[in-house]
Amino acid sequence: MSANRWLATGNYFTSYREEQRIFFTSLDRTAMALFILGLFLWPFFIDVGNKYMLVIDNILIAVIAVMGLNLVTGFAGLISIGHAAFVGVGAYTIASFARVFGENHFLLSHAWPVMILAAGAMGAFFGAIVGLPALRLKHLYLAIATLSFQMIFEWTMKFMDFFNQGQTIAVGRVFWLTGEVSRSAHYIFWYYAILVLIVLVGFAVRNLLRTRYGRCLIAVRDNDRAADAMGMHPGLTKVYAFALAGFLAGVAGALHAYLYRGVGVESFTLHHSINYLAMAIVGGLGTLPGSFMGPLAIKMLDMQVEQLSEWASSHLAFAANLATALKPLSFGLVIVLFLMFEPRGIANWWRIARSYVKLWPFRY
Amino acid sequence: MKKDNLTRWMFLLGAVVMVTLPGQALAGEVYKLGLSLAITGPTSDAGNPYAKGVEDYFKYVNDTKMLGDDTIDCTIRDDQYKNDITKQNFEDFLDQGIVFYLNYSTGSTLALKKDFEEVKMPVIPASFHAGNLVDSNYIFLPIASYSDQAIGLAEYIVTNHKGGMPKVALFIHPSAFGRGPVEDLQKAVSAGLALEIVEVVEHGKDLDNTAMLKRLMSKGVQYVISQTVQSPVATMLKDADSLGLVAKSFGEEGKVTFLGCHYTGGNDLVALAGAAAENFYWTTSYIVTNEPSPGATAQLELAKRYNRDEKAANSHNYANGMMVAQVATEVIRRAKAKGKEINNVTLYEELQEMNGDNAYSPGTTVGPVTYSKTDHTGVDSLQLYVVKDGAFRSAGTPFIPKYTGKK
Repeated sequence: MSANRWLATGNYFTSYREEQRIFFTSLDRTAMALFILGLFLWPFFIDVGNKYMLVIDNILIAVIAVMGLNLVTGFAGLISIGHAAFVGVGAYTIASFARVFGENHFLLSHAWPVMILAAGAMGAFFGAIVGLPALRLKHLYLAIATLSFQMIFEWTMKFMDFFNQGQTIAVGRVFWLTGEVSRSAHYIFWYYAILVLIVLVGFAVRNLLRTRYGRCLIAVRDNDRAADAMGMHPGLTKVYAFALAGFLAGVAGALHAYLYRGVGVESFTLHHSINYLAMAIVGGLGTLPGSFMGPLAIKMLDMQVEQLSEWASSHLAFAANLATALKPLSFGLVIVLFLMFEPRGIANWWRIARSYVKLWPFRY
Repeated sequence: MKKDNLTRWMFLLGAVVMVTLPGQALAGEVYKLGLSLAITGPTSDAGNPYAKGVEDYFKYVNDTKMLGDDTIDCTIRDDQYKNDITKQNFEDFLDQGIVFYLNYSTGSTLALKKDFEEVKMPVIPASFHAGNLVDSNYIFLPIASYSDQAIGLAEYIVTNHKGGMPKVALFIHPSAFGRGPVEDLQKAVSAGLALEIVEVVEHGKDLDNTAMLKRLMSKGVQYVISQTVQSPVATMLKDADSLGLVAKSFGEEGKVTFLGCHYTGGNDLVALAGAAAENFYWTTSYIVTNEPSPGATAQLELAKRYNRDEKAANSHNYANGMMVAQVATEVIRRAKAKGKEINNVTLYEELQEMNGDNAYSPGTTVGPVTYSKTDHTGVDSLQLYVVKDGAFRSAGTPFIPKYTGKK
């Protein structure tokens, strides 16, 4: 360990325990504490309005979903292109309760943290079921298996009367210590609720990766036969990777249901699955910081392109069709460019920047 | 010295007040409205002319000082037919302080219903789904619902069909928009409308409907009522034409007569289906520019004034957008004339008083717009049109379906 706890310049560990620490220096720990504190405090000083608060809440929900996707695809190396369906399972768990007991039932309005966990559990259950083919399938074949789950999910929601044939199922307002969360406080309330969850989930994932189970994920990704030979259980590892991903997706889905106060199938389509995958790729597959950076980058890109295509279609009559194509075009282009030039994602830029600062004034 | 300074400041302040005050006194109120719709993405072929109709009419209101010095500032946002983005746009409009909201799709209208109730915002959507009005106090349909339209077409079939009980198939969009009228039509049949619904077809993105048409023929289907958008109908009509199935006259034996609700028809259908669109029956509450009328002239002049192309100028969706802007302007004008403060509450009240002698005739519709506390459907009358020589022509006079009250 470095003599200076604040400014370690290299990686020098004298025990495995040291290597497994979450924060390597006190500076890291302090910076993270200040960053989290900043996330909790900024709404007291800046009023961004309901629209942007909704966008921010959306980004945070995507962060939870992408953390799940990163576990299964980034760390365990199992391609999942049905992640939005797992998010949908969580959302429809809430919607099902609303359908059976009524949108303002005590369970939904007062016991909402329990409902969010229940939605996560349902996501984990379906994740484990969909993960079963991973015992036999790999690579493209596994991707197709997850895709088929996405298709089955969409079809079921669109055609079953119980799920209102995919149309919105309303979810009531929740209660907090001060009473019912009003419309004016809705988005800020969910900002804090999601933020608390993100902090907990972020540390949980970071801790998972320090444990035997987390290391198993990476070992199975790198070489499942070698992992097997080392005494790990690749099959079980793959199934629990899917289950964990499903849990986080389910939690994200429940949060989406509460945030939008309704659930409709159009928020959980294949397009959204591709979107989550793009967030994971752009952020950096197999990295925890990437799960935060990817959703932020893709959602920001989305908003900018939306504004650009809106401007193009209103000011350039001939460009209306082009404007329609602008969003998928830019989206596809960003993914291709990242895959070609920065396959390790924005998280790698973050790593380089940190190394540069760490070594400064010496050259990187 | 201090006194000099004070005098100087007082003079400056007085000058500023004198310069700015008259300007402020003369400047009228600005009423903020919002419209979220699909300018790009799915259904943008309808959303584009709709947005232009809204935009042009509000420009016209401001340019001609229809509200005196007061002006309407309607922000139009693209939502790409996605409910999540519509919600974002609506929240943005609320942040801006809108007094009236114009929405678009069925899905987003249903998804935001609770929000409209909570903020007590009067809303006119471009969706005519009857379900929009269920458990809602603030949504107002501009014209007769899809259910009313489908029932109106069914009544026309029953009245004009020769022979036994007519066999009908429904060709619908796989969404709430498409499914909306199915249950209501089935209820009308149960209530005594003498026809048989043989099959309900939810179309996909098929480029060929041959198999479906042959199946319908094998079941003896004589009429197909469509509740979807133009392109799937055009595909079906072209396939039916190539199979020689399209009836040359209404109810021709051994052939199929095709009919459709508001969003299936219009000039775009003729452009897409070509000669196969001939004898297609279509119902809507809007006038068409193929036939001279004061409303058609006003529509064409408005489009010309703001340099719109022929396609937009003659679109029934341009008329659709123009009409909701006319209604919004009219309620503001009426509330203003009564000396009321213009806000969502007073405009809501004013909308509900738009009936009896206060009914409003915008000219772009085949009947007056009437709303009340119990009636949130604007134009109750429907007009049947049929394609003759490549253009939609009136078939009969405007009518109000009888079985709509028997849901």
